[in-house]
Amino acid sequence: MRAILLAAAVVLLAGCGGPPRADAPVTVVFKHARMFGDDPVPRLVAAFERRHPGVRVKTEALGSSSDEQHQFFVINLEGSAAARGPGFDVMMLDVIWVPEFARAGWLLDLTPSLAPGELDAHFPAAAEAARWNGRVWALPWNFNVGVLYYRADLLARHGLGPPRSDAELARAVQRIRAAERDPKLEGFVWQGKQYEGLTCNALEALWASGTALLGPDGEVLPDTTRAAHALARLRGWITDGISPPWVSAADEELTRRAFGDGRAIFLRNWFYAMDLFDAPGAPGRGKVGIAALPGRGAAGPSPGSTGGSLLGVSRTTRHPAAAVALARFLASEEAQRVLAGGSVLPTRMALYHDPALVAKRPHMPRFHDLALAARPRPVTPAYLMLSTSLQPELSAVVVGVKTPERAVADARRQLAYALQGLR
Amino acid sequence: MTSRRALVADVAVLVFLALYAVPFLWQVLTSFKPEAELLRVPPLWPTTLTLSHYEVVFTQSAMPRALLNSLGVGVLTTALACALGVPAAFALATLRVPAAGPLMLGVVASTAFPQIATVSPLYLVMRALGLRDTWAALVLADASFALPFVIWLMTRFMREIPRELSEAAALDGAGRWRTLLSVHLPLTAPGLASVALLTFLFAWNEFLFAFTFTATEASRTVPVALALFPGVFEVPWGDIAAASILASIPPVLIVVGLQRWLVRGLLAGALTE
Amino acid sequence: MTARERAERRAAIGFVAPAVVTLAALTAGPALWVFWLSLRQRVPVFGIDHFAGIAHYAFLATDPRFWSAFRVTAVFTVASVALELLLGLGLALALRGQRVGRRAALALLLLAWALPGVVTARLFEWLYHPAAGLVNVALGVALNWLGDPALALPALVLADVWRTMPFVALFCYARLLTIPAAVYEAAAVDGAGRAATFRFVTLPLLAPVLLVTLLFRTLDALRAFDLMFVLTGGGPAGLTETLTVYAYRSLFQTLRLGFGSAIGVIVFVLVMAVAAAYLSVLRRREAAA
Repeated sequence: MRAILLAAAVVLLAGCGGPPRADAPVTVVFKHARMFGDDPVPRLVAAFERRHPGVRVKTEALGSSSDEQHQFFVINLEGSAAARGPGFDVMMLDVIWVPEFARAGWLLDLTPSLAPGELDAHFPAAAEAARWNGRVWALPWNFNVGVLYYRADLLARHGLGPPRSDAELARAVQRIRAAERDPKLEGFVWQGKQYEGLTCNALEALWASGTALLGPDGEVLPDTTRAAHALARLRGWITDGISPPWVSAADEELTRRAFGDGRAIFLRNWFYAMDLFDAPGAPGRGKVGIAALPGRGAAGPSPGSTGGSLLGVSRTTRHPAAAVALARFLASEEAQRVLAGGSVLPTRMALYHDPALVAKRPHMPRFHDLALAARPRPVTPAYLMLSTSLQPELSAVVVGVKTPERAVADARRQLAYALQGLR
Repeated sequence: MTSRRALVADVAVLVFLALYAVPFLWQVLTSFKPEAELLRVPPLWPTTLTLSHYEVVFTQSAMPRALLNSLGVGVLTTALACALGVPAAFALATLRVPAAGPLMLGVVASTAFPQIATVSPLYLVMRALGLRDTWAALVLADASFALPFVIWLMTRFMREIPRELSEAAALDGAGRWRTLLSVHLPLTAPGLASVALLTFLFAWNEFLFAFTFTATEASRTVPVALALFPGVFEVPWGDIAAASILASIPPVLIVVGLQRWLVRGLLAGALTE
Repeated sequence: MTARERAERRAAIGFVAPAVVTLAALTAGPALWVFWLSLRQRVPVFGIDHFAGIAHYAFLATDPRFWSAFRVTAVFTVASVALELLLGLGLALALRGQRVGRRAALALLLLAWALPGVVTARLFEWLYHPAAGLVNVALGVALNWLGDPALALPALVLADVWRTMPFVALFCYARLLTIPAAVYEAAAVDGAGRAATFRFVTLPLLAPVLLVTLLFRTLDALRAFDLMFVLTGGGPAGLTETLTVYAYRSLFQTLRLGFGSAIGVIVFVLVMAVAAAYLSVLRRREAAA
C-alpha cells in the first residue's frame, strides 16, 4: 500500500516536468473565478494568444466563494517547494489579499515591469490595494464600491431627496412607512451576518464616525469612543426600527433580493447590484437611485469601502515575461472595456465616461464620482486576521448580546495578541 | 386491557418513528421539487416532480468527481487499515507481543483522540510530503483513526477463537501466516466485513481532515463538496437536497443491505465486555 | 527465554510492526507534536516560527472568546448527551415491546446515525429555513432558528440529538434483548410493578451499557465539529462557536498554527480527562462487584 502511495508521489512529482525547451511553445496557466453570464475571459485570452505567438494560455477555474479561493491559494502556495512551483502563473486575487500574499513571498514584484505612472489611470483606491511596502504586486482588474441604493419613486412621491446623513435616512424611512402603510415595506437593509460583508459595513460605519479600524501607527481601533459610537449605530438601526432584525443574518444577496423585490426603501450594497435592478423585466427597473453612503451629523456623505479583484503573478512562475504580459494585457484599457461590456466594473477611470459603455450602462458616470471618494479596506498583510477576529465581536453587537464598548475592548485585546510580532 | 395498552404503545412508537424520519424524507421530497415551488410552502406536496436538480448536480457541480474521490479514498483507507490492522490484531490475540498491555491501551486511547488536536501536525506532515490536495493525504489521515479502530475490534473477535484451533493448525505444520489466513480470517470474516464497512463509512463521512487537506476537485470528497456547494445568486436548496441524497446513498446501502453485520460491529464494543 | 518463545516474540513483532509504525507516525506522533506546537508561535504565511512558552495558554485564560466557546461546548455536550440518553433509553424500552415495524425502526435509526454529519447539517439547515422551513410551517411561526441568539444553540442541539440518539437506542436495545424473560417473570412473581421492575431489574442490568454510551457520546460531543461548522459556522455572534470551531478557525482561516494548536490541546485534555474519569468509575464498580 505504502509502495503504491510512494509510486503515486513519484509520478506526481515527475508530472511537473523539467525546464521547458526554448523552442517549445510556452504555456501560461491563469487561475480565475468564473464570471457570471457571458464570460468574456476566453475571448480576451484568444486575443492575447493572437498577439503573442508561441504563448498558450490555459485558464483554470477557481471555487465560487472568496474563502474557498483563499484556501486554494494558501494550500498551493504556502510551503510549496519553489522548484516545483504551484502549477499556475497568473492568479486573480481578492482585493484584500495582495499585501498578505506579497509579504508571504508568493507574488512577483511587478514594479520593474511597469511603465512609470501605469497605475495612475486606475481609481486611487484600486491602485492603493495593489501596492504594499512601496512596491506594486498586482494589477487592478475589476472594482466594486459600497453605495446606498434608494427607491427613487418612493422618495419622489414623498418629496424627499437622497439622504446625506443618518438622521435624514431615519426620517425618510419613518415618513415613507407612515404614509405607505405597507407592513411588508422595510426601511434600510444592509449586511449584518457574521462574515466579511459585515466587516465592510462596520468599516464604513467607523469612517462615517470619523475614525478607522487601524490608526496611523497600526493600533487597532485607536479611538475607542468613536469606534463604540460607530458600532452602536449599526445596532441602533435595528433597535430604532429603521432596519428589520433579520439584517443581523443577512448577506449581499438576501438584502439585494429584498430591495429588488420592492420590500425595502434603502439598501447598502455594491455597484454590481445596479445591473440586476436595471435588468429588463426586473421589478425595480427604473425606480432605483444610487447615492453615497449617509454620513454622521453635518459631515456630509461618507465613503464606501472597495471590493473587486486584481491580477498577480506567481513568484515561482517559469515564464515571468509571458505571465506579466498576460496580466498587463488583461488589465489594459482595451481588455477592461470588453469586461465592462458584460457585468464587471472596470478599475480604469476613463472607461466610466466611454460613450459606448455609458450607452449600455447609463449609471457608469455616477459610479465614477462615488468610486473616486471610496476607501480601500486596511491594506495590511494581516487583513484576514483583523477581519476574522473582528467579525464575532461585530456580530455580537448587531445581534445585541454585547455592548459596543465591550466588543471594542474585546476586539482590541484579541487583535493585540494576534498581531503581536507580525509586523 | 393490557393488549389495548400495548396497541397504544405500538402506535405511539410508530408515530414517533414517522416524525423521526421526516427530516430525511423532507430532503428527499425537496430534491424532486420544481425550483419555483421550493420556497412556496405550504402546500407541502409539489404539483409535479422533477429530476432537474439531479441533472444540475451531475452536469454542473463538483459532485460526480467528489463521489469518485470519496469512493477511492474510502476503499483505499479501508484496505490500508485492514491490511495493517488485521495482522496486528492476530498477533495481539494469539501471540505474546512485547508490551502488549500498553500497546492495547494506546490503541484504545487513540480512538478517543480528537481530530482537531491532530489536524495541525498532520497538516505540517502533508505539507512536508507535498501531499496536500491528493487522495494519499486523505487516506493516510483517515487511517490515523481507522487503524486503531480495526486493531481494537479485530483483536476482540480473534480472541474469541479457541486456542485449540490455532494449536491444531500449528501441529499440522501451518506457519503463523497460514494460521491467520486459513483459521482466523475465515472464522472472523463476518466481523471483519462489518469492521471494513464501518471503516468505509467513517472515511466516507469524514469532514475535518478532508476539508483541510483538499483544495480542488482533484481530491475533494463528498462532504466537502456538499459543505461548499456553490450558489451564485441564491442558495440552490433543491440542488443541495439532491446532492445530499447522493451523499447518503452509500450509508443507506450499507445500512439496509448489511444491517445485521453492522449491528454486530457497532455493538461489539459494548457487549463483548 | 526459550528458543521457541524468542521465535514467537520475533514473529509477533513482525505482525505488529507495520501497524505500530503507522500509528506512531499518524496518531501518536501528531498527538505528542501538537503539545510542542502549542508552545510555539507559528504563522507560516508570515514566516514566523519561534518558541512562545505558555503564552497562548496565558492569553486563552483571559480570552472572552475562549470562555464563550468553552461554555458553548459544555452546554452543547451536557444538553445533547442528556437528551440522547433519555430519548434513546425510552425508545429502546418501547421498541422491546413493539410488535410491528421493528426491523424498519432499526434500519431507520441506523440510517440517521450513518449519515455524514454534513448531510445532517444540510437537512436541518433546510428544515430551519426562516421562510420555507418545515419547522416554521409545522409550528405556524416565523422564527429565524439559526439566526436568533436564543434559538441557535437549542436548534443545533436538536440536530445533534436527531443524529446520535440512535446510537444510544441501539446499544440499549441490544442489551435489553439479552435479558432473559425469566428475570422478569421472577420479578412479577415477587409482585414488582412496572416502575419497580424498571428501577430494580432493568436499570441495573442496563447500567454498564448506559455507562459505555455515556462515555462514547460525551467524547463525541466534545469533539463534534462538522455539524456546527456547516450548520451555523459558530454564529450568530459566536453563540454556537464550540472549542473545536474556534480552534479550526484559528488554525486554518489565518494559519495561526501555534495558537490554534493550543485550543486543540485543551480539547484533547478535556477528552482524555473524561475518558480517565470514566475508567476510574468503571474500576470502582468492578472493585465493588
